[in-house]
Formats: sequence, C-alpha cells, structure tokens
Amino acid sequence: MIQLKTLLNCIDNSGAAIVECIKVLRMERAARVGDRIIVVVQKQRNFGPESGPGGSVSISAANKVRRGDIRHAVVVRTAKKTQRKDGTVVRFDDNACVLINKNGEPIGSRFNGVVGRELRDKQWSKILSLAPMHV
Amino acid sequence: MAAQRRWHTIIPRDQLSNPPEGIPVTWLKPRKKLSKIYVHPPPRSMPKKCPDPVGVVTASQLATLDSSGARARLFDKENTEGVRVGDVLHVRMREGEPVSGVCLNIRRRGVETAILLRNQLTRVGVEVWVKVFSPLVQSVEIVQRRVRRARRARLYYMRQPKHDMGSVEGLVRTYLRQRAVLGSGGKGAAEMLGKKGKGKGKKK
Repeated sequence: MIQLKTLLNCIDNSGAAIVECIKVLRMERAARVGDRIIVVVQKQRNFGPESGPGGSVSISAANKVRRGDIRHAVVVRTAKKTQRKDGTVVRFDDNACVLINKNGEPIGSRFNGVVGRELRDKQWSKILSLAPMHV
Repeated sequence: MAAQRRWHTIIPRDQLSNPPEGIPVTWLKPRKKLSKIYVHPPPRSMPKKCPDPVGVVTASQLATLDSSGARARLFDKENTEGVRVGDVLHVRMREGEPVSGVCLNIRRRGVETAILLRNQLTRVGVEVWVKVFSPLVQSVEIVQRRVRRARRARLYYMRQPKHDMGSVEGLVRTYLRQRAVLGSGGKGAAEMLGKKGKGKGKKK
C-alpha cells in the first residue's frame, strides 16, 4: 500500500537509496506492485570506498539522481499482501521501487533484489529482465 | 404425501341445498374444490435434513482434491509425523516454480487449509500463503523438522531479525540432492506424491 509520504527502498543503481512517494499515478487508491508513482529522492546511495569528504565528486559522477530529485518510479515489492490468480498470497518484508524516466525505461542499469511477478502482467518486461529474480 | 394431507371443511354439505338468507348466491355454488382447503405441510427442516452442510461440501471437495487422504493426514493436528510450525517445507507446483520456506503458520480450515512459508530471497524476506489442497500444488515435502516442538501456534516472531532463519535455499538444495540419490532416479512425480508419508519416515 504505497501512498503519499510512503518511504521506499530504491533497489537500482541510479544512486537513490530511499525515496518518498509524492503521487500515485492513475490511481485513487494505494499503489501496488507494478504501479507507477512519482517519488522524491530522500537519501543517496554511497558507491565504493571513496565515499567520504573527497568522494563527493565520484558520488555525483556515479549517481544519476541527486537528493531532492523528483522522478517517476515503479513499485516492485510491497509489504502489503497481494493475492495471485493461483490463490497464493505473497508479501515482502519491505516496500521497494525502481526509478524510471518519463518513457518508462529504468534509469539504473542493474537491480539488486527480488521483484514481484505482477510486473509481468503490467508489461514491465524491461524491469523483469534486469532483476536478479522474481517471485 | 397423500397420507399427510389434512382437509378442512368450511361449509357443511347440508347447507348447500338450502342456502341461508343474505348470502350471495355465488358463495353457495357447490364447488367441491373450494369446500376443502389444502393445508400445506410446513417446509422440511433444513437442519434436520442436513445438519452440517459445510462439512458435506468440505468432504466432497476433499474427496476430489485429495482422494488418497495423504495431504489431509500430513496436515492433521493429531499426526505426529505431519507438518508442524517451524518445519522447513518445499512445495512443488504443477506449473511454475516451487516454493520453499519455514512454516510460520498452518491455517486449518478444511479444504481451505493453507500454510504460510517464509524465506529470504536476495536477503529480502518473502512470505507466501499456499493453499495445500489446491490442484496446482503437486506435493508438500518436509525438508527439515524443527528440532524442538514450537511452543507457539504462529511463529510470527521469526520475522524479527533476531529470530529470522534467513534463507532456506541451502537446506532445500541439500535435501533435493539427497532425495535424488535415495530415490534412484526414474521415479515419476505422481509416485513421489503418493509415497510422501513413507519416504519421510524412511529418512528419519
């Protein structure tokens, strides 16, 4: 159940670590796996050991997004239970998303974490192919 | 049915021949059908006919979904060999990937009986409710039993990092490898399903 002010983990290598939902697109209710949302980057990810006082340059080089950026994202995991057509019910321990651009292409080039299989029904095949595994 | 009918006479027969004053003639036409009123018997009592309709439906569903009764025995509370919370289970699906994890909860509801499996995939906790009598479920196998009996019916505390088992993939992989060696190859899936209970006993 992703709604306004929900904090999500960002599991791609775009440079965002924690993002906050500011809008659920085309929905009056909360977003679930596969739904598109608008987020603001709250916390940046530190890449590599050079993250320190001198590493700010490398951070900005590696990170495609910065803190405070407003981006589109797709929800890939929810802590809320979702029922599948085969009767199984799946829930994850956290809420997670990946950032995308306006055209729906992922900003990051690699994801680290499992994603929900509902993405297939909503035609996010690019995200599914980048994900290490889907449940 | 005929024996139960009770007929009630409204107008006596002798009054039909000499009609009383002030009564419309239509009343007094000798109509045999109206002279008697059929009193319907009360509707048959449903609780008497079928005291436990839900139980009947459940039994018929289980007869089709679990004809051998092996799955029901596996999740029977009295069965000491059956599944208990805390066991690591491996559920094969007829189509799609198998599900494995530690059983946190067994929801015993007849044909709706379901288990909650918790696992960690890429270090993210994933919990799946599986209906055990679903036709999509091919087999439910016990990978590892809990060493000591759990003292709770629902092991939700295993979600806490302190008590979390982590991934059970390693356990499942060793179990599958062992079983492949013991099973000597050419056994079909249906046979494995039938011999589930016995194979478990052999292993112990």
